[in-house]
Amino acid sequence: MKKLLVIIFAIALAASCLIGATAINPFAASPVERDILLGLRLPRVLFSAVIGAMLGLSGSVYQLTLKNPLADSFTTGAASSSALGAVLAIAFGLPLPLVPVAALATGLIGLLTVYRLSKTGGIINPVTMILAGVVMNIVASSVISFAKYFFEDSLSSIVFWLMGGFFVVDWGKLLLCAVVLLIAYLLFAGKALQLNLLALDEHSAQTLGVNVDKLRRVAFVVATALVAVAVSHTGIIGFVGLIVPHVARSLFGSDMQQNLFFSTLLGALLLTLADAAARSIIPGGAELPVGIITALLGGVFFLYLLQTRREKFWHG
Amino acid sequence: MAELRVEKLNFQRGDFHLQLDELRIAQGEKVAILGENGSGKSTLLQLLCGVLHGSGTIYYRERLLQKIPVAERAQLFSLLPQFSEVIFPFSVAEVVLFGRFPHAQGNSFSDEDKYLSELQLEKLDLLQLRDRQFNQLSGGEKRRVMLARVLNQQAPIIYLDEPNASLDIRHTLEIFELLSQRAETVISPVHDINLAERFFNRFLLLKQGKLLADVSRDQLTPELLTETYDVLVTRGAAAFTFCHQ
Repeated sequence: MKKLLVIIFAIALAASCLIGATAINPFAASPVERDILLGLRLPRVLFSAVIGAMLGLSGSVYQLTLKNPLADSFTTGAASSSALGAVLAIAFGLPLPLVPVAALATGLIGLLTVYRLSKTGGIINPVTMILAGVVMNIVASSVISFAKYFFEDSLSSIVFWLMGGFFVVDWGKLLLCAVVLLIAYLLFAGKALQLNLLALDEHSAQTLGVNVDKLRRVAFVVATALVAVAVSHTGIIGFVGLIVPHVARSLFGSDMQQNLFFSTLLGALLLTLADAAARSIIPGGAELPVGIITALLGGVFFLYLLQTRREKFWHG
Repeated sequence: MAELRVEKLNFQRGDFHLQLDELRIAQGEKVAILGENGSGKSTLLQLLCGVLHGSGTIYYRERLLQKIPVAERAQLFSLLPQFSEVIFPFSVAEVVLFGRFPHAQGNSFSDEDKYLSELQLEKLDLLQLRDRQFNQLSGGEKRRVMLARVLNQQAPIIYLDEPNASLDIRHTLEIFELLSQRAETVISPVHDINLAERFFNRFLLLKQGKLLADVSRDQLTPELLTETYDVLVTRGAAAFTFCHQ
């Protein structure tokens, strides 16, 4: 199954490189088509895969560490508060490499505020967490709107950035994201057993030898770094981090040793396909924002799973 | 050398105040903690496990608890909390295997870990449930799975917060018999006084956060129980007597 999925993913990557505004036949490509393939398509396809992997991986870790099947970068407020930092960085004209750093700072502030608010007496209340996350989204969005209104000079770059998607891709950005993804993945994979124990109540996990607070802190920082770097480059792309871990869990079990891998791979697959669709649906070269496709693809699949395999998702 | 030594333990939460001036528990003792609801039984257990923090000192084999890293504590004691949960669908076998975490080398469980988990499943009459999802089990079955996880940890001190809660009488007897025969120290709040009296040999009686008495089985008198629970206790033949077949 693991091999099959990797093969499907490789085929999806290759196919995504060939479709778009101009379909390219790899065996009879003109020099222009070759330039499109290597200079535009390939980095873009790889970039969508890496961003999808980052969102899938962060969702898998958020859901476990926050003990909430509805947790992801969006519902925890991490994505929108990261976006806020990125917008402010753009508005104040900070150099581009500092945008993800600002996004990480505000993303962590947002997430930790939500976490603090939802934790009472050492126990995270799942409903409070979602409520606090939703409110955090609204607050961050309104400050973003204010920034758009106030910093008129940077308006066009903010709006362009907020539209999200993979319009401007270069190898440098791709490399940065790939390195962040790789480090985060290796770090989480090395702690997969400990992460599993976070599925237990706090006292059981603690007396089994897991330093729950410390592990959670590390997981928050690293998962939010994934979100902040992804958001700073592509804007907010919802739904991937929420549904992908559930799909992975229902197909391959809850064990994090499996779930981390499959959430990453399925996230990459989902966003690669979604971006390929976004580039090809409207004839004549126009593009749909990729978020529309992820929400549609992901949402329908999610509803299907909810109907057929609800008991595999979470108890209750 | 006392395996567990406690001095001047104090804990305050709102109006509730728990105070324990001195306690020593030796290896292999089977200690039941008795007392009415809210008398501080679970709080005491949590303090001893270091998941709740009060003032005073707790030593395990003469080592100060605060100085023992969390990972090492799991080699010294295990805890069955009163309420335990598993979010997301893990199987019974997976949950029991979690108990081997303190012994796992690197980032995976060894064949020995898996073998010992199977033994634990067998001991607690759980083999037929091994592939079921934990969250689909009944309350009593969940309790037994969690108990198997705790025993699988193979720690020399086992804290069990009301281990027989929601268990039927057969499994209660089986588990208490199993525990009483083991070499480990068992420290456990128990609500069923008759069962406690039968399977434990030392009794800590708590009332409103204070240690009323620390007695052996022959000192556990109706008068003492009357004082602990504020009900009139007399000794007599029970209506039913349960023994394992």
